[in-house]
Amino acid sequence: MSSDRLVPFRWPAAWTGTECLQVLAGSPINCLVFDRLSAAGPVATQARGAGFTVLEWSTLSAAPLSEVKWGSSDSPIAITGLPWPRIKLSPAGRPDEVEAGPTGAPWIDSNSWVVRLAAVRAARRPIWLGFETARNDPSPDAAAYTTAIADSAAAGARWMIRLDDALSRGLPAGNADALRTWHGIVDALAFFEANREWAAWEPWGSVGILSTFTGKDEFLSQEVLNLAARRNLLYRVLDRSMPSSQNLRGLRGVLYVDNDSPSASWKAQLSAFAEEGGLLIVPQALASQFSAGNSLHCPVLGYDLRRLGKGSVATATRDWDDPYFLAADVHSLVQRRHDPVRLFNAGSVWEHYSTTSGGSRALLQLVSFTSRPNPSISVALPHTWRSISMYVIGAAGPAALTPVKVEGRSELHLPEFSSYAAVEFRS
Amino acid sequence: MRHPQVTGCDLTRRSLLGNAGLAALGAGVLSRSAAAVEAPAARVALVRCVSYGADLLPALTRAFDSLGGLEGLVKGKTVAVKINLTGNPDARLGYLPIGRTTWTHPMVIAGTVHLLGRAGARRIRLLESPWKSAEPVEEYMTAAGWDPALFLGAAAGVEFENTNFLGFGKRYIRFPVPHGGHLFPAFDLNHAYGDCDVFVSIGKMKEHLTAGITLSMKNCFGITPCTIYGDGAPEDEPGLLPLGGRYPIHTGSRQPPRSSPPEIDPHSPRQGGYRVPRCVADLVAARPVHLAIIDGIEAQTGGEGIGPETRHVKPGLLVAGTNAVCVDAVGTAVMGFDPMADRGTAPFEFCDSTLRLAEELGVGTRDLQRIEVVGSRIEDVVFDYRKAGAARAGAPPDYDRPRPPGRG
Repeated sequence: MSSDRLVPFRWPAAWTGTECLQVLAGSPINCLVFDRLSAAGPVATQARGAGFTVLEWSTLSAAPLSEVKWGSSDSPIAITGLPWPRIKLSPAGRPDEVEAGPTGAPWIDSNSWVVRLAAVRAARRPIWLGFETARNDPSPDAAAYTTAIADSAAAGARWMIRLDDALSRGLPAGNADALRTWHGIVDALAFFEANREWAAWEPWGSVGILSTFTGKDEFLSQEVLNLAARRNLLYRVLDRSMPSSQNLRGLRGVLYVDNDSPSASWKAQLSAFAEEGGLLIVPQALASQFSAGNSLHCPVLGYDLRRLGKGSVATATRDWDDPYFLAADVHSLVQRRHDPVRLFNAGSVWEHYSTTSGGSRALLQLVSFTSRPNPSISVALPHTWRSISMYVIGAAGPAALTPVKVEGRSELHLPEFSSYAAVEFRS
Repeated sequence: MRHPQVTGCDLTRRSLLGNAGLAALGAGVLSRSAAAVEAPAARVALVRCVSYGADLLPALTRAFDSLGGLEGLVKGKTVAVKINLTGNPDARLGYLPIGRTTWTHPMVIAGTVHLLGRAGARRIRLLESPWKSAEPVEEYMTAAGWDPALFLGAAAGVEFENTNFLGFGKRYIRFPVPHGGHLFPAFDLNHAYGDCDVFVSIGKMKEHLTAGITLSMKNCFGITPCTIYGDGAPEDEPGLLPLGGRYPIHTGSRQPPRSSPPEIDPHSPRQGGYRVPRCVADLVAARPVHLAIIDGIEAQTGGEGIGPETRHVKPGLLVAGTNAVCVDAVGTAVMGFDPMADRGTAPFEFCDSTLRLAEELGVGTRDLQRIEVVGSRIEDVVFDYRKAGAARAGAPPDYDRPRPPGRG
C-alpha cells in the first residue's frame, strides 16, 4: 500500500493479545506501529494477515523537527517531540486553569505550523506527527482526541494515534466511556480519510515567511510561523535553504526573517517581487540590501516604508526580538482587508484556508481548541461564491450554507459545532 | 454658539497645561466640595434615534444644532476624537456586529466625522488605545469587520492613531490634574491628546462591572497608554510597545515607570471600584472633553464583556453635550439610574460614582436640576437597563475584588 494511504496507530505495549485487534475493526486504521516487532509476536502476524501494514518504530527514523533528515528516502516523514494540541493548561494541569499568551487570549499548542514547514521541506511525502499526553495530564476525552486528529489533518498530516493509558486499558475491557471516546476517534479519522483530497489543496497565504528556520534563525522564524497562525494570519512557508524558484505568485508580501543577506538569486527574486507590486518586509540588518526609492507613509510604527517599482520595501527600524509583535506587524503591513475570510467569536479557533490549483474551490477549516461547542461563529466573506457547504465530523454529509447580509457585508453564520468544521466554497 | 463651561474651545496645549498648572497650584485653596458647588452646568441634547440608518445623520445634526452647532467649536481646528473600541475586535454577542453592542457604532463615528468636517474642522484624528495592541487603529477596525474608508470618506483630513504607546509622536505629553486629582496628580499621554484644539469623546451606553456605567467619561480610561499604565511597562521609562492591559490602574498592583507621576497615595484601597472611577475623573479633569457623545441607539446590558447576563438592547437614543459630566448624568438617568447615587446604590453597588468624583474636581455638575436638557424629556425616554438585562452578576470580577491596601 502506498505510504500516502497509511493511517498509523501506535500499538499500545499493554495490548499483548490478538483479540485487541478487534478494537480496530471498522476503523480507517490500516497501519500498526509497534515499539519492537520482536515483542509483538502473534499480534503482528495476525495483523499482517488481516491486511494491516506493520511497522517497527525504529524503521520510521522518527525524530524531533530539528533533527529530521529531510533528504532521506524514508517515507513518510515522522516528527516527534511535539505537544498535544490544546489550550495550554496551567503548570498545575488543572483543566479549569489555562495559560494566557501574549495576546491575553489563551495560549494554544498547535502543530499545524510544523506540518506547514515540513510540507515545504519534504514535498509530497506523507507527514506523520508524534505526540502524546504527558504523565500528569488529564485523560483526553473524545473532543480532545478529535481536536488532536484535526489539528494534524487540517494541515495535511496524520497523527500517529497514540492512546492515553486510561483509554488503552479501558478499550479491551469494554469500558463504556472508553468506547465512546474511541468511537469519536474513529469518526474523526474516517472523516479526514473520506476527505483526503483536501490535503492536496494549496495553502493560501497573503504573506510568504522566508527563513532558513534553523540555527540562529530558528527561534524567531519558527515562533513567527506559530504566532502568525495563532492570529489567523494566513501564510505560505518559503525555505531559504531551498532553491529560490519557490513560487511567490499570489502573495501580497514576503517577510524575510533572517539577518543574513539573501543569496544573489533570492535577492533578485525578492526585488522582482517588490517591483511587480509586492511588499517586501526585511529586518534592520538588511536596510541597504534593496535599493528602494521614495519614502511612503507607514501606518505601522517601527518600519521605514519605501517605494520599489510598483511595490514597496518595509525595513524594520529596530531589531525584531519578539515574534508576537513581528507577526502582528506583518499582519498590519499586508493588511487584514486582503484576508480571504474574517472570523468572529473564534478566539480559540485555528484557521486553515486552502484552494484548488485553479482557485475554483476553496476550503476553510476551523479547528477548535475549546472543550465547549462553538455556538455563534461568523465568517465575513469578501467574495461571492456559487455554493457554500459546511462539513462537521459525524454528520451524514455537508449542509448548504446561505450567506446573510450584515450591515451591507456578506457573512456566514455557522451553526454550532464542536472541535472541527470545514466550509467548502465553490465558484 | 456659547461655551461658557468649556475651559477653552480654542484650547492649545500650552494654554491647557498652563491652566492646569494654575489649577493645581490652587488645589490647596479651592476645596473639592467647593469645586463641586462651582462645577459648571451645560446644555445636553437628548435625541431619539432608532437605527443606524437614514435617521442617524439628521438625529446627530439635530443634537449638535441644539447645542449651538459645531462650527464655533471646530472650524479651522484639529479635532481629536476618542472612540470606544474596547475589548477584542472579533468578539460578538451572538452574531451581532460589535458596533451594535459594545463599541461605538461605525455610523455614529462616521456621522460625527462628517458633521465635524462640514463644520470646518481642519484635521480629525480618530484615536483609540486598543487593548494590549500597537496595531494601527484602522487595522483594529478591519478586524471588527469595519472598513476604515468609511471614515476617510466622511470628511477631509481624517487620520487614525493608536494612542496605546508613543505612536507618531516624539514624546509623551504630561497632563496635570486640576485640584490635585483623586488618584493621580498627572498623566503622561500620547501626543494626539495634546496636539489638538478640540477633544471629543464618543462613548457607548453601557453598564460596567467595575465603574457601574461606562459613557463618555469612562471612554477616556482608554486614553492611558499601556506602555506606561500597563502590566508590562518597564520600571524606569515607558515601554516601546504595549505589553499587558491596564490592570495596574484597576488593582494598584504597581506604579507607572519612574519617569511618570506615581499615584498620589500608594496606600489607598487597591480596589477597582475605588480606583477606576477616580482615575476616570482625574483623566477628564486633566484632558477636558469639549464634546461628549453617547451612542445609545443600540447597546448591551450587563457590562462591557460578553457573558450569560449580557443582552442586546435598543434604547434608541443619542446624548450629546459640551460637558462630559452633564452628558453622562443625563445618560445615567435615561439608563434608569439616579445620577446622584453613590456607592452601594445602583449602578454603583460596588464602586464610587465617577459622576460625583468628576463633579468634585469641578469638571461639571451631575445635578439634573442644573442641567438644561433639550430634545426629548428624560422621563419620556428612560430605558431601564436593569429591567432590560438579566440579573446582574453579584460581584465584580476577580481582578477587582477588594485587596488589602498598601500592596504594590
